[in-house]
Amino acid sequence: MASSSSSAVPSHPVVFTTKTPYALPSQKFMIPLDWKRYQLSQLINKALDLPRPIPFDFLVHGEILRTSLLEWRAEKGVGEEDTLEIEYFESVMPPQRISELPHEDWVSSVSCRIPQHFVTSSYDGHLRLFDYSQNPLLDISVHQAPITSVCVVPSPSTETESRILASSSHDLTACLTRIFLGSEGPSASTVTSLHLHTSPLSSISTDVSGSHLLTSSWDGLIGVWDTSIPNDHQVPLDREDDRKKRRKTASANIKRKAPIAVLKSHTARVSKALFAAGEHAKGKAYSCGFDSTVRTWDVESGVCINTINVPERPMLDLAETPDGNTLLGASTDRTVSIFDLRVSSLSSSTGIMMHSATPSCIATSESRKQQVVTGAYDGVARLWDLRSTKSAVTSFRVWDGMKVLAVDWVRDVVGIGGEGGMEVWRIDGGS
Amino acid sequence: MAVTGLGKVRNKRRQEEVEEVEKGPFAGAVDLEMQSEDEAEDEDQEGDDTSDDGDVDEFPEIDAASDSDEETDEEEEEEGTDDLGEEDTLDENSDADSDLHIFPKSKKVVSDITGQTKVVYPEIEPDYDSDSSTEDDPNRVGNIPMHWYDDLPHLGYNINGKRVLRPAKGDELDRFLQTVDDPNSWTTAFDQNAQMDKPLSAEELDIIRRLQAGENPDAEYNPYEPTIEWFTGKGKEEVTPLSSAPEPKRRWLPSKWEKQKIMKIVRAIRQGRIVGSKPTAADKKQQFYAIWNEPPSNQAPPLPAPKPKLPTHSESYNPPEEYLPTEEEREQWENTDPEDRERDYLPHKYPALRLVPAYDQFIKQRFNRQLDLYLAPRIQRVKLNVDPNSLLPKLPSPNSLRPFPNYKSLQFMHTKARVRCLSISPDGAWVASGDESGVISLWEVNVGREVKRWSLGSKVGAIEWCPRLDACFFVVGTEEQLHFFIPPNISPAMLTMTQSALAPGTLPPVTQSSIKWISTSGAAEDGPILTIELPSASGLSRQLTWHKKGDYLASVSSSETQGSVWMHQISRRHSQSPFKKIKGAVQMVLFHPTKPHFFVATQRYVRLYNLAEQKLLKTLMPGIKWISSMDVHPSGDHIIVGGYDRKLCWFDLELSEKPYKVLRYHSRAIRSLHFHPTYPLFASSSDDGSIQIFHARVYSDLMTDPLIVPLKILRGHDVQEGLGVLQIKWVNKQPWLVSAGADGSVSLWCS
Repeated sequence: MASSSSSAVPSHPVVFTTKTPYALPSQKFMIPLDWKRYQLSQLINKALDLPRPIPFDFLVHGEILRTSLLEWRAEKGVGEEDTLEIEYFESVMPPQRISELPHEDWVSSVSCRIPQHFVTSSYDGHLRLFDYSQNPLLDISVHQAPITSVCVVPSPSTETESRILASSSHDLTACLTRIFLGSEGPSASTVTSLHLHTSPLSSISTDVSGSHLLTSSWDGLIGVWDTSIPNDHQVPLDREDDRKKRRKTASANIKRKAPIAVLKSHTARVSKALFAAGEHAKGKAYSCGFDSTVRTWDVESGVCINTINVPERPMLDLAETPDGNTLLGASTDRTVSIFDLRVSSLSSSTGIMMHSATPSCIATSESRKQQVVTGAYDGVARLWDLRSTKSAVTSFRVWDGMKVLAVDWVRDVVGIGGEGGMEVWRIDGGS
Repeated sequence: MAVTGLGKVRNKRRQEEVEEVEKGPFAGAVDLEMQSEDEAEDEDQEGDDTSDDGDVDEFPEIDAASDSDEETDEEEEEEGTDDLGEEDTLDENSDADSDLHIFPKSKKVVSDITGQTKVVYPEIEPDYDSDSSTEDDPNRVGNIPMHWYDDLPHLGYNINGKRVLRPAKGDELDRFLQTVDDPNSWTTAFDQNAQMDKPLSAEELDIIRRLQAGENPDAEYNPYEPTIEWFTGKGKEEVTPLSSAPEPKRRWLPSKWEKQKIMKIVRAIRQGRIVGSKPTAADKKQQFYAIWNEPPSNQAPPLPAPKPKLPTHSESYNPPEEYLPTEEEREQWENTDPEDRERDYLPHKYPALRLVPAYDQFIKQRFNRQLDLYLAPRIQRVKLNVDPNSLLPKLPSPNSLRPFPNYKSLQFMHTKARVRCLSISPDGAWVASGDESGVISLWEVNVGREVKRWSLGSKVGAIEWCPRLDACFFVVGTEEQLHFFIPPNISPAMLTMTQSALAPGTLPPVTQSSIKWISTSGAAEDGPILTIELPSASGLSRQLTWHKKGDYLASVSSSETQGSVWMHQISRRHSQSPFKKIKGAVQMVLFHPTKPHFFVATQRYVRLYNLAEQKLLKTLMPGIKWISSMDVHPSGDHIIVGGYDRKLCWFDLELSEKPYKVLRYHSRAIRSLHFHPTYPLFASSSDDGSIQIFHARVYSDLMTDPLIVPLKILRGHDVQEGLGVLQIKWVNKQPWLVSAGADGSVSLWCS
């Protein structure tokens, strides 16, 4: 039906491929050049005779088609005779707000890694656990100072009722909190505090297996920890102090733990440290900081094996795509830089996603390899496709004039934390 | 006609000859010969012919072709033969004539001599009638090119359709003899039509003569005729142009023929046919010489004469009506002296250009112009031909000077009152901001989350973070008090260090002073750890500044008394007033970053004191009416001073007391200035609500001037009650700026 288009507009030979279940027979179509995404999507819907129309997005040469084919061809300088291979996938639908979880204080970090639950950390020093029906299950006061980051340590065992939450705080420590999601009601107890840093901690993260933790701090150090809970204090108490003593006596059963390694190379605040995903990068970690560098670490030996220097771009957050090929760094000059780890080690960013405000957090998803969500200080979360970084695929205003400080994305649920508490949004569609 | 005239002459002569012929012995023989050709006709006609003319015979004589060599007899024979041809025509003539003329009647008379009768014809009167030349039967070929008959033996046809044979032509000898014979032969010419020589008439000869003499060939023409006045004189003037024809081209086109002539000459010169006159000795002088050999005259070249003014509309012969003077104007013009007149003419309107009379002032005007040229002193005015853009300094593009703050990253709000002061921790992580309601907020630079808040209950005038890196505390200046605060969440080691610094274990003996140091270590968690009580009535602490080592603190109070400046030493818990007497109200004080020098800004001047030697080093005169702020460059060699009168002065301390550069970019009073500690940047904030970022590169090389480039104007603070941005501070190690505004907001500006 495409070939029977009007003769006034020149057409172009096109072959459609897809990884979705909606596959077309592999044949050549002559597509009029003034067609855009909408017409192409209609074409596929009609060709497949789908009962319910599904919008599709189209990838030409690895880029999302946003203009008409003619403009795209003029921009890329593709010859008229070359057969284009267009891959299509289901479009991302506009995200929908599912629920709001109000907090008294700012939410510094959210995690959706416990199935059917949300974990939030707040500036009032509390960790909170919610289930999907917005019921607050737990409210644990872990730190006396603002918590900057929380992560769920994947439990090596199969038991699903007991979890360990790791939280980092301004009070120079990170804590491991064990929570029980039993049928008799959830309970929690802080079991270990991690002592290394002399400045507030900025982030804590865990590896895939849940055996190790990384903490980053404002003092430029990265601590490597194992998640085992010591039986005894590994760090002696600091010099006796009335204030400290009071607190320590209150929680005497919290075991103080020392790091297994310290990664030292950053010259300024480290804002994020995380373990590399993927098999080929086992034992590696990445970190970024205010010294405008992204460093790759060999955790075993504790040395920095690669430094990507991006001049004058202090990094606020770092994320890695699930395939382990790309790093994304949010920096204060309103950009999110894309670092391709496969290309030569010294090259700096290979792409930039421009924001209109300071991007503060990045989240990637296992389910969508090419898409990321970023949150910014203007209260807008943006969904980007790495194949087309010119503009966001979609953006959704979470709060007006309030900052987004954390995003987490698991499957189609995006948890967004910030000044206004936490919100849960659903992103449908996509590959 | 001339021809007829000639014919008459000839006829007379021929008549005599005819008579001779008739009497000649060979006449009969000749006749016989003649008859052999045309017998009958000849005889008849002979009889007719004899009656009136010997004209018959005249033709042979005219024939130029006839031989003149032979004797007359032969000649006559010849003539006879010639006559044969001619006679046809004659016959015809006679035939024609017989119809016209009444033949003279012959008489038979008995001859006296012979006694026999003879026919006597009446004497022919040689008058017009007697001349038969007019009745000559001309050749009837008509006016055709005679060469048509060149190859034919005849020349046309007679009236009877007979061929008219070409008359025989004599050879050159005949012609010669004829010319000898005939005295008129030189005035004869061959008539092509008639195929004979014809003598030229007197008139024709006259024409020839005139042509030879170069006169007009017309005898009637009088070259000296009296002139007839057609267009002059009364009543004969021509009022319309003679012709409306357009001017012919030849009037303005260069002549073609002249050109050809000139080209002929040119070609001749080129080919060498025309050689110019030989060069004279004067031309042989040396042609080339070094023109620079002689020194150039230092006289200025003659000035070009000023151009006369161009005529205007009013000087037109047909000016628009509005230029024409009214009667009053005309009168006024006539009444004023020629020197006082605005212009030396009166506009006048003429309906046509040809009615314009000659300009009566022409001579006078030319004379005045000559006077102008001759008498007016003239100066060569040198015009500066400079592109104004080239005078602007070459400034690098702001994009090449990145990073600098260019957007507002986040904002922290003090809800109650305007924020007077702020300070940023030396590690660049925390901001302490104090507002006029006495609230001090401590918040993270990058997130903007308030971590701790203290409420003092009195107006906060200044906050300054201690620059020590091993200790962490800040000082807040309020009404007559200085409070020392320790931020929360510092490492135990640092906390110990800070506490020991603020509450040293060993104190020197307390000297008598009006300043009290009060430790409140018990309530360290929520209140100041240390308080300095300034003397009463010293007012609000307007400014605090730390020495870079973090031991000395200078405070400026708003009171205008002598004790407004105090120097506090933390380690010794000692305060002193460095100046016994200061002229004017102290606005600001600063420690020199490297030397033991001390800047004191009063209302008009900035003084530089050497604290070690206790003497005045320098007085800087910014020329500002009221200094508001001041900052010293991290190198210590430059200071910037801002004033309430919007001026910003840059001083190079190595140079004079006058500012190196004065910038006036703000539209309202400057409130705060700050040099970035590491980046080559400084910023100024103003009551107009804007912050201006400058690039200020200072070179260690003393020869190079500092480079100051305006980079960016940051707007985002509201002006409230005439106050804009009250204080700005740079974040250490990062090109970020924090600004406190009168609208209660504290903003972080990121690069």
